Amino acid sequence: MVLTLVLAPLLLVALAGVLQLGALRVAAARVRAAADLATLVAVNDQDDAELARTGALRLSADAVDVAREYFARELELSASFLDGAANQIAADADVAAYPSAPSYDARTGARYDRPTVRIAADVPVRTPVFGALALRSVTTIHVLSMSSPR
Amino acid sequence: MEQRSGRASSGTCQPDAGRALTKALRDERGLATLETTFAITILVPLLFSVLEFGSALERWLAQDAATVQAARYAGELGGDAPELRRFLDEELRTAGIDPDRVSVDVAPSRVGWREPVRVSVASAYPVSIPFLFSTTVPLRSSAISRGEVNR
Repeated sequence: MVLTLVLAPLLLVALAGVLQLGALRVAAARVRAAADLATLVAVNDQDDAELARTGALRLSADAVDVAREYFARELELSASFLDGAANQIAADADVAAYPSAPSYDARTGARYDRPTVRIAADVPVRTPVFGALALRSVTTIHVLSMSSPR
Repeated sequence: MEQRSGRASSGTCQPDAGRALTKALRDERGLATLETTFAITILVPLLFSVLEFGSALERWLAQDAATVQAARYAGELGGDAPELRRFLDEELRTAGIDPDRVSVDVAPSRVGWREPVRVSVASAYPVSIPFLFSTTVPLRSSAISRGEVNR
């Protein structure tokens, strides 16, 4: 009986940790999907005049703004997970467009052989159970996403 | 407690002492049963909680992924369409989710070039914890894309 009484709180803590870890995985997947969708939307926003004239795929002039706007929109859908306003997180994100190819990403050093939109962001996610267990109550998810048209 | 024989040694037979010992042994067995019952009623719900909620989270992830794909497709189609519903049904079925038990909302149902379209998917996951409760956990997923059809 003593063993059960000692183990029960430990197992409860383990259960809470498992649930929090699961919620964190869901949050991380959503943040990644948000960045992926935002870059895809921005890349699909092609320069129509250039496409009609030369047939070349060129990013629209407002690709960075579009990516940032849609990143904010997607994050807003998961606002309950976030430790901060979605708009602010998107505003702080490093969004870059590389309209000509080949080009090199100053942040990652990656080479892009097609026009590319890239989002790099640190997204703070609330993890209250971890906080209660003397761990971090806010976990930052680093996300890096890039898309190119083809 | 099982190391004791429970039988009085020959030559020093004392009927009263033997009966007392047997009774004590029986009592201790009862205590062990009580302890086991107590342990099971605490540990089994905890174990099932981990399994059930883990399964619910896994399903939530799968539903989220299907919703994101559906949002992309809704952007390509310019809103809601039978093809989108069929695509989403297939994605959900692949993820082990019954599409008939899922509600889908596409808003607005028709979008033009560069207009945002939102796909929302909601379902209920039944969770049953022995000795504690049975309930359903609502799982909601949403994603936004942008219309790519120049009408």
